[in-house]
Amino acid sequence: MAADIISAVLVLLGGVLSLAAGIGTLRFSDLLSRMHASAKPQVLGLILVAIAIGIQFPTWATVTTLAIIISFQLVTIPVATHMVGRAGYRTKHLRRSMLYRDELAEAVERAEAREIARERRREHGTDENDG
Amino acid sequence: MSSPVLDVIIVVTSVLLAASVLLALYRVVRGPSILDRMIATDVVLASIMCGLGGFMALSGRTDLLPVLVVLAMLGFVGSVSVSRYVTKSDSMTSGAETGSLGDFSASDWHMFSDVEEPVSAEANAQWPDDVARGIADVSDGPPGTTVPAEADDEEHQSSTRPGAVDDHDEKLTDDESGVGPGPRGDGGGGRDGG
Repeated sequence: MAADIISAVLVLLGGVLSLAAGIGTLRFSDLLSRMHASAKPQVLGLILVAIAIGIQFPTWATVTTLAIIISFQLVTIPVATHMVGRAGYRTKHLRRSMLYRDELAEAVERAEAREIARERRREHGTDENDG
Repeated sequence: MSSPVLDVIIVVTSVLLAASVLLALYRVVRGPSILDRMIATDVVLASIMCGLGGFMALSGRTDLLPVLVVLAMLGFVGSVSVSRYVTKSDSMTSGAETGSLGDFSASDWHMFSDVEEPVSAEANAQWPDDVARGIADVSDGPPGTTVPAEADDEEHQSSTRPGAVDDHDEKLTDDESGVGPGPRGDGGGGRDGG
């Protein structure tokens, strides 16, 4: 019975995290803020629910499958979030006034300057990479 | 399984998950860009995974564990594919926001995600950033920002990057306007290659 209560409380915490993500997705005003809110139940909520399942059924098959699920989430969620954030940065879905510092803009400027210099070199016909 | 504490916890968890799904679905309906809808869909999927895990933990259906694996993989593939092929042309619902992508000027290009100030959003679309915020002098205005022909030109050049140098503007426009949802459709895939 105590195990039942503990696992139910863990599932309840997962539900609380999910509700926090829902409220953050609704209320935040920016794509990056919404991404910050939505990552909580995807990782921590699922870990709590997996611990609840592991408490209820402590067999090797269940626990290893849960470990596979959690490690898969931990690997794929940063990749997916990075892709969404990159697409959001390139399509300018961010509020400039909410950023303290944009380090990516400096890198993009350097890359653009390099690109322009390469373009000019190619126009003048002195491209050493051409041969 | 029949303790009243357990019943209360189960009911409260169900209500929390349902509320989370409803809030995220509201964001899916209202979200101005496709990326916001993708984020909200991820929240819905995470809520479904939490609910399914809770159901497994409290009812003994451990045969549903592969479903959890499939849902995790589905969320990853969906996010990556949608954000890979998002472009500037189809990423906004037209008219859903005041500062839609056709109204961007070269110096003020962040999103307005709330509709409560349409007048200042229009002003920001026409004037540069410091002038619109009242920092700079507005006595005669900057050269060539409020001409109507410039507005047409701006609408034409809405796919260019705002930080681009002037003599490369035409080239960038020609580059990016002809590209559909290809490998460069997300706004220049080779920009971070160097």
